[in-house]
Amino acid sequence: MNLPTLESINLAASLPVLILAGWACLLTAIDLFISPERKHWTAWLAVLGLLASGVALGFEAVAYSQRGAVSAFGDMAVVDGFALFLQGVFLLSAFLGILLALNYLPRHNIERGEYYTLLLFTTSGMMLMAMAADLIVVFLALELLSLPLYVLSGFAHPRLDSEEAAMKYFLLGAFASGFLVYGIALTYGGAGTTLLSGVVEALVGGGPAPNPVLAIVGMGLILVGLGFKVAAVPFHMWTPDVYQGAPTPVTAFMSVGAKAGGFAALLRVFLIAFPATGDTWGVVIAIIAALTMILGNVVAISQSNVKRMLAYSSIAHAGYVLVAVAAARYPEVEPLAVSAAVFYLLTYAVTNLGAFAIVIALERDDGTGVEVEDFAGLAKTRPWLAIAMTLFMLSLTGIPPSAGMVGKFFVFQAAVQASVGDPLILTVTIIGVLTSVISAFYYLRIPVMMYFRDGEGQANVQPALGVALALTALATFLLGVVPAPFLQMARHALLTLAG
Amino acid sequence: MDGLFSIVPLIILAPFTGVLINVFFGRKLMPRRDSVAPGVIASSMAGFSFLIAVLMFFALLANPAGAEVPVLTWINVGDGDFTLHIPWTLKVDTLSSVMMLVVTGVGTLIHIYAIGYMHGDIDEKAASRGLEGEEALDFKRRRYARFFAFFNLFLGSMLVLVTANNYLMMFVGWELVGLCSYLLIGFWFDSPEKNEAGQIIGVLNSSAGRKAFVVNRVGDFGMLLAIMLIFWSFGTLEFDDVFARAECMIEAPQAECLTLSAAELAPQGEGEAAAEEHGEGEARALTTPIALGPFAPTLGVVVTAITLLLLLGATGKSAQIPLFVWLPDAMAGPTPVSALIHAATMVTAGIYMITRSNVLYAMAPVSGMVVAVIGGATAFVAASIAVAQFDIKRVLAYSTISQLGFMIAAVGLGGYIAGIFHLATHAFFKALLFLGSGSVIHGMEHGHHHAHGQGEHHDAPHGEDERPFDPQDMRQMGGLRKHMPVTTWVYIIGALALAGIPPLAGFWSKDEILLDASLNSTLVYILLTVAAFFTAFYMGRQVFMVFYGSERTEAARHAQESPPVMTIPLIVLAGLSVVGGLINLPVGGLHPLGRWLEESVANAHIASFNILVATISTVLALVAIGLSYLLYGRKPLEEGEADPLYSTGPVFTFLNRKWYWDELYAAIFVRPYNRLGDFLANAVDWQFWHDFVHDRIIADAFQGWAAILSRPIDLGIVDGAVNGVAQLVESTSRSLRRVQTGYVRNYALAVLMGVVAILAYLAIRFLV
Amino acid sequence: MPGVILFAILALVAILSAIGMLTSTNAVHAALFLVINLACIAVFFLGLSAPFLAMVQVTVYAGAIMVLFLFVIMLLGAERVPLSSRLRWQAPLAIALVLALLAVTLLVAFSPQVQGNLVNPRPVPPEAQGFGSPQAVGETLFARYLLPFQMVGLLLLVAMIGVVVLTKDERKPTGHISENAQASDRAA
Repeated sequence: MNLPTLESINLAASLPVLILAGWACLLTAIDLFISPERKHWTAWLAVLGLLASGVALGFEAVAYSQRGAVSAFGDMAVVDGFALFLQGVFLLSAFLGILLALNYLPRHNIERGEYYTLLLFTTSGMMLMAMAADLIVVFLALELLSLPLYVLSGFAHPRLDSEEAAMKYFLLGAFASGFLVYGIALTYGGAGTTLLSGVVEALVGGGPAPNPVLAIVGMGLILVGLGFKVAAVPFHMWTPDVYQGAPTPVTAFMSVGAKAGGFAALLRVFLIAFPATGDTWGVVIAIIAALTMILGNVVAISQSNVKRMLAYSSIAHAGYVLVAVAAARYPEVEPLAVSAAVFYLLTYAVTNLGAFAIVIALERDDGTGVEVEDFAGLAKTRPWLAIAMTLFMLSLTGIPPSAGMVGKFFVFQAAVQASVGDPLILTVTIIGVLTSVISAFYYLRIPVMMYFRDGEGQANVQPALGVALALTALATFLLGVVPAPFLQMARHALLTLAG
Repeated sequence: MDGLFSIVPLIILAPFTGVLINVFFGRKLMPRRDSVAPGVIASSMAGFSFLIAVLMFFALLANPAGAEVPVLTWINVGDGDFTLHIPWTLKVDTLSSVMMLVVTGVGTLIHIYAIGYMHGDIDEKAASRGLEGEEALDFKRRRYARFFAFFNLFLGSMLVLVTANNYLMMFVGWELVGLCSYLLIGFWFDSPEKNEAGQIIGVLNSSAGRKAFVVNRVGDFGMLLAIMLIFWSFGTLEFDDVFARAECMIEAPQAECLTLSAAELAPQGEGEAAAEEHGEGEARALTTPIALGPFAPTLGVVVTAITLLLLLGATGKSAQIPLFVWLPDAMAGPTPVSALIHAATMVTAGIYMITRSNVLYAMAPVSGMVVAVIGGATAFVAASIAVAQFDIKRVLAYSTISQLGFMIAAVGLGGYIAGIFHLATHAFFKALLFLGSGSVIHGMEHGHHHAHGQGEHHDAPHGEDERPFDPQDMRQMGGLRKHMPVTTWVYIIGALALAGIPPLAGFWSKDEILLDASLNSTLVYILLTVAAFFTAFYMGRQVFMVFYGSERTEAARHAQESPPVMTIPLIVLAGLSVVGGLINLPVGGLHPLGRWLEESVANAHIASFNILVATISTVLALVAIGLSYLLYGRKPLEEGEADPLYSTGPVFTFLNRKWYWDELYAAIFVRPYNRLGDFLANAVDWQFWHDFVHDRIIADAFQGWAAILSRPIDLGIVDGAVNGVAQLVESTSRSLRRVQTGYVRNYALAVLMGVVAILAYLAIRFLV
Repeated sequence: MPGVILFAILALVAILSAIGMLTSTNAVHAALFLVINLACIAVFFLGLSAPFLAMVQVTVYAGAIMVLFLFVIMLLGAERVPLSSRLRWQAPLAIALVLALLAVTLLVAFSPQVQGNLVNPRPVPPEAQGFGSPQAVGETLFARYLLPFQMVGLLLLVAMIGVVVLTKDERKPTGHISENAQASDRAA
């Protein structure tokens, strides 16, 4: 038998995630000794863990720039530019997620230390997802990502809508996970291995037990499981209910983290394991992308609850990233499309967290105050808040000078490159552009409300929330004005077969 | 030592930090009326920048080649054949180092001076608005902090300009400087300069700011066109690459050179030397065709166009004919602003830019000549106007234009070292003179208050003065030597330096320019020599009118010396004006500045000292000073006496009215423009378009048609279609929303549908 | 051939018991159907030469977990699940979709492109020495699948924390039994 060696485990390469997961376990115990009035200590300790993980990630990125990708835990995980970039996005989102919750939880009388530990657990799941090189790891990472989110959605219990959200999310999540596992099993049956790099060999006609058709059916089911996580049509229906019911900071983090995690797996699995069948899944994903963009944007129009509106907006944005995924099946477009997708996820993360930060500021203690009408007159009472919200809405629509515009631009650029000789992608791209015009309809309703309607917009910006707001607004603006350094990083976010 | 270059971003960062501090905390830092914290912060930021500039100087001593320090990538678009890559990279070489030292060094002294000056100025303005107590304090807080924020911004912008390594970044600095000049010239935008009688005297500050901005924009337009043309023909905007490619295109076709960068060309070394040789010889025939859209002009034509457009930019910033009119009005701003604009920063931008582009100018001899003639003509015209002015600052303003003409003429003739040398020495003594005049004005205002305060007690309301009081009018001064000894002495030193009396700084640099002119163009040489004569004369006139003779007003009688925070910078600047010539002393083939600049200015050449030229200019200057003594010194003006130059009649009026430039512009541009606007608005738009076309033709016809169209067609079909689409989207939205039942079972069903659809597609795809 | 017959019979039982579990309105019956299903699967493991997994299947799933399920069902007194009469189109549509899915699956399973389908089975490769033994499973689990194993550990911890969070009322602590029961239920 082959016992693993220290070299093959390569602990150093996966240090960021090890630190985070280990710290989460420790913090669970430490939290028991922190009195209920001082739960913010747990929050800061969690931030400390994120920070340590971030430092390790920085070292890892420097090491990556020198020696390229390496694999860890045998060949179960791979640390490449793609993984590192997304892990950075996850850490950032988690940090902002904690900032958003810091004042929210006590205000709503649901402060418990587990919030922060669970946040760390789900973040470690996301980070593992980004580096998964084996379908089993993909599945477990997905579960590790999802389970804490199910719990967090119900964190405001005994508030009924929160419990309902958790229940729905859990049931449907389990349902989708079932498909994912079934898909992985079929892929294993077809390819004789669960290693992504092994699957690709089996599909081109090698490997221990080549049986491509089974693997392809497996691929379809994997797509279902991951499509559920990123909220793609028709696996999106949980999104509005869960987003609306869950405590707002959880919604904010979920909309960003879970989606990015799902896309991390989607990109890696389909581009590494199934490149040979790109013409098949490319069509499926392109159609799903078109449906997702249309449905997300059209239904968002008739929403009056901002959380719900942002939920549909989050569905729509999944559609845009899916366009990039569909475009990435052409090998000559792949680097551009992958970097466009991860860059889009980064811009979406900062913008959406910012938008939710504003929703949190407006939300009253009883959970009301998140209707579109509640934004009326905000420009007069809280001019800075109104400016920030306008910036976020512009960014979500994709209007300069904002991060969203740059993100959309690169996604569509990749799509246009891929659409040479592929009328389907061209159609989907055109749909994408048209639907982003439609999206202006509901996004810009909020600035109109804030600036042109009378009303006394009330908001409560507490210190941590203010910091989060300032950070996200600044990032949204900077990514839109000087995107070059971040694009440069995204350019290096390439997928590699297990090194 | 090379690592030292990497700290150069701090030189820009420091002033901008000062801006932020003063913008956000400036007001809070002033608990009392005599607090100086904003000024001290701004000055220390400027001083820090100077320190960095000095460090850069030492680093360059060790490694004269300099360095390019990348800060970040600013623009990076396109790939393949078309790319636009503009980094935010700072260029440190000997040329930019000289500029940094001058800008930060003189700038720092002006900052320090302004700490004291602005206190008096703001108090004065507050008093004239009748503000008291808390209101006055608040007013002062706002204005004091704002002033120093703008001041630091100005300094930082200028540093952006001189440290740029590409034309676009330079343009950013260029525009920022323009913006800051607008902000600072119009600093008292809300106070029309009024005398006691309530009449408006002088220029409204805000309109002076606007004039500066608009005129500058005309020049910027040329600059922008030049930048576009450069990018179009050379495919890059970075200085070194542009120059390398331009020189490459002399021999090779355009396409071959477009991929070249300076770094690739550098190792050859020979090419550069060869190009230089060419430059010395006969004008080269630059016939390489350059692809510009549908046209393919030759390289020579393109470079000439670029350099002429750049010149248009330079005439705007450096106040040359035809765009110099803004600068005299710019003295409406507080005096330190005038000093900063005229001495250290803004106006030198044009000279710096031309020097930086020397490779291009060397390739376009026609442009070089145009530059030189414009410089010479400006020097002459401005100097002649300065002779007939009475406002102390206005004399200095025209003097600045004239001296800038000297520099422009020098760089136009290829005397880049002489131009930059004069730029540096001029910065010293012109800052000195402006700040000195500020000190005089300060003293006069003080004296006026003193006299006025007593007068109110025991005298009939101001019957004494014929003219309204104007602290800047030289006719109301006189005899200030007795009241302001320090100011007097430093002012005389500055005046002598400007007049070009050896061995002061001005002599050496002016002489080098005259030498270059005498070798290259007789016309320019004559213009400059006459201008130099005028210069000595008007400075003599000014000194005698202001400091000698007897006091002509009460204000002058009660004038007071300024506080040390103002006089110490003056003394430092006086010292620099005396010894400034040392930086490029031509004795014994020394020429330190020349050797220094040779490192970065490819076409620099070192002029040798010519005793004949030096003697002529010195003798002329002495004669001019003697003449001014005869007219103003021997028999000083008395109260109410007219200027002896009035005897020249129309000539004096012509000069006093500034050659009627403003009137000319008003006649050629402003009034026709207003009339055209009026015509377009009233006649064309309103009477013809609105009254006739709209009301008669369109409205009547429309109403006829509308009757037909509105009911059946519009409401029925068009509206229906538009509303229909909107309703469709909305109703789709609503019906899709209805699918969202809230039942988990339904949701699961949707997932199942997706599964079946996907699997069916896959199965069909692979099995059929 | 006897192997195929045994498989066919057990598979039929497994499917029928699964359907029975889904359709029975009594929660206790449903749980018992599930026991049958899990037992069938345990036999499948045996047929695949994995005796250790078969034993784990019987003891953990069919044994421990099902007992807990029954405890909880009876403690809560939730034996009967009321059927909702709303959404009348839901059930037929779901059945149609499941049938469609079945059709697609069968189409794939019996297509000539699939090597080794039920019509012409692929020869079973000879298994390695000790395959399926506790030792082999343990070695694979701790050596090759080290990372997944650790992740499962984390997952169980998270599930436990989650249950505590969701059920514990800060103000009025409730009894321990239901908490522990649900915790281990989720953990499994």
